[in-house]
Amino acid sequence: MTAIASSGKKWRKLYGRMHTYFSKPQNVILLVLGIVLTVTTIAPMLTIVNDTFAVHEGSVDARNIEEGQVYTTYNWGALFAPTRTMDQRLAKINLWTPLTNSILLSIFSCIGAILIGGVFAYLVTRTNLKCKKYLSAIFIFPYIMPQWTMAVVWQNLFNSNAVTGGSDGLFASLLGIRMPLWWCQGLFPSAMVLSLHYAAFAYILIGGIFRNMDANLEEAATILNTPRWKTFLKVTIPLVKPAILSTILLVFSSAMGSYPIPHYLNLSTLSTKYVELNASRAGQASILAVIMMLFGIIILIVNQKTTSGRKNFTTVTGKSGQSSLVNLGIGKYILAAFFIVFTFCTGILPIIMFAVETFLPNPGDYSFVTSGISGNMTLKWWINSDPLAENGMYGQLGILFNSTIWNAFLGTLIVSVCCALAAGTIGLLVGYCVSKNRRSKWAAYVNNMAFLPYLMPALAVGVAFFIFGSSMGIFNTFLLLILAGTIKYIPFASRSALNSMLQLSGEIEEAAIIQDIPWWKRMTRIIIPIQKSSIISGYLLPFMTCLRELTLFMLLCSQTRIITTMLDYFDEMGLYAFSSGINLLLILVILLCNAVVNKLTGASIDSGIGG
Amino acid sequence: MSKIELSHVTKRWGGYYAVDDLSMVIEDNAFVTLLGPSGCGKTTTLRMIAGLETPTEGRITIDGVPVFDSELGINVPANKRRVGFLFQNYALWPNMTVYKNIAFGLSNINESGAHVNEKGEVCRDETGKEPPRKLTKAEIDRAVKRVSDIVKIGMFMDRYPSELSGGQQQRVAIARTLAPGPKVLFMDEPLSNLDAKLRLEMRSELQRLHLETGSTFVYVTHDQMEAMTLASRICLIDNGVLQQYEEPMLVYNRPTNLFVADFVGNPAVNLMEARGEEKDGAWQLSLLDTYHAAFTQVGDTMDQSPLHSGIHKVEKENKDILFKYAIHRISDEGVDKDYQPDDDDYVLGVRPEFLEISENGPIEGEVFSAMPTGMETTVRIRVGNYLLTAVVFGGVIYRLGQKVRLNFKGENVMLFSRKTGRMLCAGSLKIN
Repeated sequence: MTAIASSGKKWRKLYGRMHTYFSKPQNVILLVLGIVLTVTTIAPMLTIVNDTFAVHEGSVDARNIEEGQVYTTYNWGALFAPTRTMDQRLAKINLWTPLTNSILLSIFSCIGAILIGGVFAYLVTRTNLKCKKYLSAIFIFPYIMPQWTMAVVWQNLFNSNAVTGGSDGLFASLLGIRMPLWWCQGLFPSAMVLSLHYAAFAYILIGGIFRNMDANLEEAATILNTPRWKTFLKVTIPLVKPAILSTILLVFSSAMGSYPIPHYLNLSTLSTKYVELNASRAGQASILAVIMMLFGIIILIVNQKTTSGRKNFTTVTGKSGQSSLVNLGIGKYILAAFFIVFTFCTGILPIIMFAVETFLPNPGDYSFVTSGISGNMTLKWWINSDPLAENGMYGQLGILFNSTIWNAFLGTLIVSVCCALAAGTIGLLVGYCVSKNRRSKWAAYVNNMAFLPYLMPALAVGVAFFIFGSSMGIFNTFLLLILAGTIKYIPFASRSALNSMLQLSGEIEEAAIIQDIPWWKRMTRIIIPIQKSSIISGYLLPFMTCLRELTLFMLLCSQTRIITTMLDYFDEMGLYAFSSGINLLLILVILLCNAVVNKLTGASIDSGIGG
Repeated sequence: MSKIELSHVTKRWGGYYAVDDLSMVIEDNAFVTLLGPSGCGKTTTLRMIAGLETPTEGRITIDGVPVFDSELGINVPANKRRVGFLFQNYALWPNMTVYKNIAFGLSNINESGAHVNEKGEVCRDETGKEPPRKLTKAEIDRAVKRVSDIVKIGMFMDRYPSELSGGQQQRVAIARTLAPGPKVLFMDEPLSNLDAKLRLEMRSELQRLHLETGSTFVYVTHDQMEAMTLASRICLIDNGVLQQYEEPMLVYNRPTNLFVADFVGNPAVNLMEARGEEKDGAWQLSLLDTYHAAFTQVGDTMDQSPLHSGIHKVEKENKDILFKYAIHRISDEGVDKDYQPDDDDYVLGVRPEFLEISENGPIEGEVFSAMPTGMETTVRIRVGNYLLTAVVFGGVIYRLGQKVRLNFKGENVMLFSRKTGRMLCAGSLKIN
């Protein structure tokens, strides 16, 4: 009798606890998101691992198994423990060389990005450099533009028929300078281009800390009569170390997963090798993807270790005077001039070059410059409306009349809008719920799950969804693209949402809870309006990144479905005018979006990446 | 109309006890302050009563209705407890004007027979028979007008919180809290962000507000002066354990232990270690190294029952240790830090106003420092190796180093057991 009573009491107590737990919306959302994100993040990863053991019809592993075998370790053996000399050579080409290249590329890109971005950040925030405002805005351009933009520019500048084959670039055709091969192709230009691309990223992260850093910290050292260089080395640098570290982590994985840049610049990395192998050695390709994922997981662990340590300083003390800027003397003009030229090359030149390219009669035919005859330019790439009129266009209509291009553009817009809405909303919820449950382990897990795809090389995520999507029968659908994009971009939104939610005192919401204001009203009327600018950038960032995404999507759909794969297609066809035109359109759309949102809300791409 | 009862309420995170087996009754219409040093658990207690924090153990009732009971699995969420909460940082919604801040909560009311009467008070049908109803725009206007008149912010209605001064923001926060007519008002250090002058002003306004609204006020503060001046009862908490829950004057004159005696009162109480023996309510004590005195008990002997049962389900990480009172010495040389006191060791507590500077006092000292405010002067006097504090009313000027003579006056000298830290009784102290 008493046993029943006490067990009844226990149940009532448990029920009460559950009721209390689930009466808080953040707990319900957290539970649902945790399960959904686990499935959508982990399942695709498991399918890749599974794929490395699976037997692929018509692939090399299918010829090396016994009848009826479903799983084989052949692929792992072929790459890691080859027995025959020929296999050893293959393993070197297919695994070890790309792996070495990938790691080198990632390391050099990190160094380059931090050097360029860090120096620029220091100059802009801590010295009396001229033209700061203009330089600061234009320096972000390469990051906003599609990744391969700079690679294409590099090619257009330095390629020459004599060294690389194909058409002459600007240097060769106008100045007659032929750059050596190592300059034109391979590791050096790939690392340079990636460095320039992610320098903007390093600038935003490091500059953010420089800007918010309490000047008193440095002034305290100055008062103690510490030489300036010593202050810089012992105080300033250690303080920006967390920002440098997070730049390294992000650039490392992004560089590793980048496909277009090594592809254009002819470097064999894990990602380009994956695409190469995918047809005939699918299982081995999957192993490459697994390796890339392992790097992502290692980086996540490193990230966890470093951000929770003692050396994670609070640099923003809230009470800060204006720090005295370092006087560069005459250098403020010289450096400004240098950076104006530099940013012109990275930010403006690509746009001009893409524009010019679309008016050239043939790729690399810059004869209008030397001859001065504007008749050597053409509008046919834009306005040709007769499929039979131009032989050189392979039956394609001009960009303005080409329904394939416009359909692909529409497809990109659909995918981008859906991804932005989904990723932005989920990210917002993750940020909100995690900030409400800071102590809970489950919240930390959900946060990590949402963050993991950020550190996964884009190609690895793409591969995961390719295999996952194929097995689910949704290959080449918008659904798969949106799913992959959403998962990959949730971190953008969840990070900015979490940062902004943590700034919001819990009392603000409690004041509403006490007055019996329902949850959705608290969100829509209080929390979202207060933090609207960072929430909008949580939507904006996925949108703009999605517009220019190639690596993630190229395996998931046919080439005509979205604009970036379309662009890739035209490049392969040698119709550079088309790809340049599309590039131009993409860049303009992205810049326009950034400007419009900036004007409307004060949010911008650089405000969301913080941390 | 609303009495709050806490019985055996505990809140812990792992082995850390924020609130440890707290039982108390807050009478209807009382003004109770929860007082204690930072991190003692007073805010947690307040948040648990309001429903913003879930207790680990125990039972809380408001108006006889259990709002939390760990045994029965009851936990009424904060929004259904009909309480008001005033936050330390005001928590005004920065995206809304003053008017919207106050009206937002009102526009969400959808309760049985809800309406706003002539005076602007929100009324409800407590029986719950009438159908639920929302307030009309005119009614909300009336209710907002009433509360904004109380705190005199009528002219700021269209401003945003960022355009107001700290004191004005505080008033808006009070108006917002009062608007829906809460049964109980909780305040979490509401004055700590104001400057000293404004704080004094708001303090008296809160007292008026308590009278006018007739609600029960529960007020958290670490400022003992605020607690003394405002409260009808003070609840003193240390390390999660309730130390004393009585009227301010009793807390001041009859503290349960050395911690309370030391925490309450500004300037702080003079503590002197003494040793001697008791004989029929009279003690012969030696103190201040060279003096001997007779202590005579006046009034009752204090209750010595323990403050806490000492039983914990999980071992308490933040252990309850004997309060380390401070004896002000010129030099700490020769003090045995590991001394184990026995039953013959006492501590005497003398409030500064009971330390008299008189020409023929038996104790000899010299002025160590003097801080005149005009109304009174706080004088620190060196007696041998010890420093004692006295308060002298009126504009008396003292020279540093001046020789003075002292006497203990009155019957409110406190005698504590040095071994347990508990107060034994009050009495008078006479130097032989």
